[in-house]
Amino acid sequence: MSQELTKELVQKLLGIKGEVRGVVFRTDREYVLRKKGEEYLEKVEKELEKLGYPIKYEEIKSMNFYPIGLRILSLLVIKEVLNLNDDAIKEMGLVATKSSLIIKILAKFFFSLQRVFATEAPKIWKKHYTIGEIEPVELNEEKKYAILRLKDFKVHKIMCTYLEGYFCGIGQLIIKTSKIESKETKCPFLGDEYHEFLLTWE
Amino acid sequence: MKTNTERLQEEKRKIEYLLEDLASLESYAKDLLNFFPIPICVVSSIGIILEANPALEEISGYQMEELIGKGIEELFKSKDIDEITKEIFGKGSVRGKEATLLTKEKKEIPVNVYARLRKTEEGETIGYFLGFFDLTEIKKFQEQLQTKINELERLREKELILKIRESAKTADIEKKVKELENARKALMNILEDVEEARKKAEEERNQTLAIINNFADGILVFDKEGNLSLINPQAEAFFDVKGRDIIGRSVGELETFPTIRPVAKLLGKEIKKLSRQEAELNENLILEITTIPIVRDKKILGKMVILHDITRGKAIEKMKTEFVSIAAHQLRTPLSAIKWTLKMILDGDLGSLTKEQREFLEKTYQSNERIINLINDLLNVTRIEEGRYIYKPQTTEILPIIESLLKSYEGMIQKKNLTLELKKPPKLPKVKVDIEKISLAIQNLLENAIIYNVPNGKIEITLEDKGEEIQISVKDTGIGIPKDQQQRMFTKFFRGSNAMKIDTEGSGLGLFITKNIIDAHGGKIWFESEEGKGTTFYFTLPTVGKFEEISEFFKMKI
Repeated sequence: MSQELTKELVQKLLGIKGEVRGVVFRTDREYVLRKKGEEYLEKVEKELEKLGYPIKYEEIKSMNFYPIGLRILSLLVIKEVLNLNDDAIKEMGLVATKSSLIIKILAKFFFSLQRVFATEAPKIWKKHYTIGEIEPVELNEEKKYAILRLKDFKVHKIMCTYLEGYFCGIGQLIIKTSKIESKETKCPFLGDEYHEFLLTWE
Repeated sequence: MKTNTERLQEEKRKIEYLLEDLASLESYAKDLLNFFPIPICVVSSIGIILEANPALEEISGYQMEELIGKGIEELFKSKDIDEITKEIFGKGSVRGKEATLLTKEKKEIPVNVYARLRKTEEGETIGYFLGFFDLTEIKKFQEQLQTKINELERLREKELILKIRESAKTADIEKKVKELENARKALMNILEDVEEARKKAEEERNQTLAIINNFADGILVFDKEGNLSLINPQAEAFFDVKGRDIIGRSVGELETFPTIRPVAKLLGKEIKKLSRQEAELNENLILEITTIPIVRDKKILGKMVILHDITRGKAIEKMKTEFVSIAAHQLRTPLSAIKWTLKMILDGDLGSLTKEQREFLEKTYQSNERIINLINDLLNVTRIEEGRYIYKPQTTEILPIIESLLKSYEGMIQKKNLTLELKKPPKLPKVKVDIEKISLAIQNLLENAIIYNVPNGKIEITLEDKGEEIQISVKDTGIGIPKDQQQRMFTKFFRGSNAMKIDTEGSGLGLFITKNIIDAHGGKIWFESEEGKGTTFYFTLPTVGKFEEISEFFKMKI
């Protein structure tokens, strides 16, 4: 166990107010299974158990709400056990959009970029998290970029990386392009008031 | 009445039930999607794949995360997907449309596409479901079926043709059948003739082969390319080789065989024309070689080489020559003693003679002289045949030699009252000759012209400059040579039948010796003659320059 994942840190994380839909644990599970298989999923579960917060991913209900601290703990343990770098965490966020039940339910609205950006994106966020708020800032289809702001969501830096991939994945489902990228341009952990993500595509 | 807390708990319980149902529904939907053996996907209205099942993952070769978010047009040929989307958005569904699926590995799979449009409750189009069947096996089956159908059609066509043929037994066909029958008979006759001719040709061939194989002479046959195509057993024995080892080889290649080399050298690479040319293969085998072109329809098909074994003949001839040589030597010594004794008596060294004694002794002396001349001729012949006739050529002019000879024959010419004419150009090139031998040759010709001339006849000697050689002719107006005997004039001991009547003392060796001398000098000799009118002998001698050129040949002769 790294110095980062101390019991104190875990306690602190679990102290964060706010909840998240169980679907995010399901997508975490999918990722681990696809990348490393059952054996590593068991390792992750054991590690969580050691930390005193066991998660049985199979028993997680997609639509139920769980503590947001647990969600962050899941990511940190997976990163630790699978020895993932930031790119892999970003990939986790991207792949999550492709197996998320909530995204599938909302996908019926993915016929208009304008609509998804202005209306559905904030909804998607609210359907996943009980804290934080998505604010669409700018969409320029001609110049092929969009700016999204995430306010009141200072939980852990790993979420910034994860969300970069997540927004990129959403972009892939609504924009027909061969290349799309997402980058966090503002971050509360860097002194900004909020997170801001810039999506660009070709 | 329920309290607020009770109502809240009841609401919470209901929500929990709903969430449980939703989770079950999710599981159900997922299981159903995963279960479907046919590839299925959910496509957004702008053509992005939002959901896919494992069957699609498997057939396309893409992983799930690659598939979701991918444009549907990447999975199909552009023409196919254009038609499909047009039909979906136009008619609301697609049923069994054939298209070509493009896999990640660029493989093309024929599929049958089904699709249905998705709309919201408000009637807003939000995309479509799309599924398809893999037609690969069906296509294969169709192709096999088509092949069978084609085969069946061909069989039917054949059957139909047969039926038509059967039903068309008209007089015309019968006539044609008869004609065909006649043609067949004629053909059979021709075939019989051909077969007979073939048998005859084969018999002839076998006969020819039998003759060749049993021929006492060796035979080699070369094809037109100059490669050996046949060798008979006798030739195999001469060369001590097996035909299979040398058949197909050129003369050049045959030269590498030590036993064949002497013959191959004589033949030359082009297989030159040879007539009774001798080749000594070893001490015990001398062959006489003759080449004959094999000609058919004026075309040379090859060349035949006949190898005649003359070893025995040569041995006998050698023995004969040796005998003559020994006998002549043995005879000449006592004859010379007789000659000098007679000479002394005739010169009066042993006392005076009566007239009658002198006449007898003079006749004896002349007879002895003739025998000595004959023996000298015989010795010359044996020397020629044994290769011991030594030549000492020197550069000289031919005219003085001839003039000197003519002078020595003046008495004989006058005695017969012959007219002699010498025709000569102002200048003649020099020749290189053995003066003694060439004098003997000219002497023989002069003697013949005198002896066999008619009284009061004429002798004409002509010298001509022919560039590289001098030509000399001796023309007489004598008895001539009978035509049927002309071929044998240069052979040993031969004398013309009419000549023998005039002069009974000739040896028949003069022309043989003359020819050998002229040949040895690189010249040629021949004659023209008409019985009762006269004979002209011609011979040539190379000039000095030409003589040097052919000196190799000359040396060989010496």
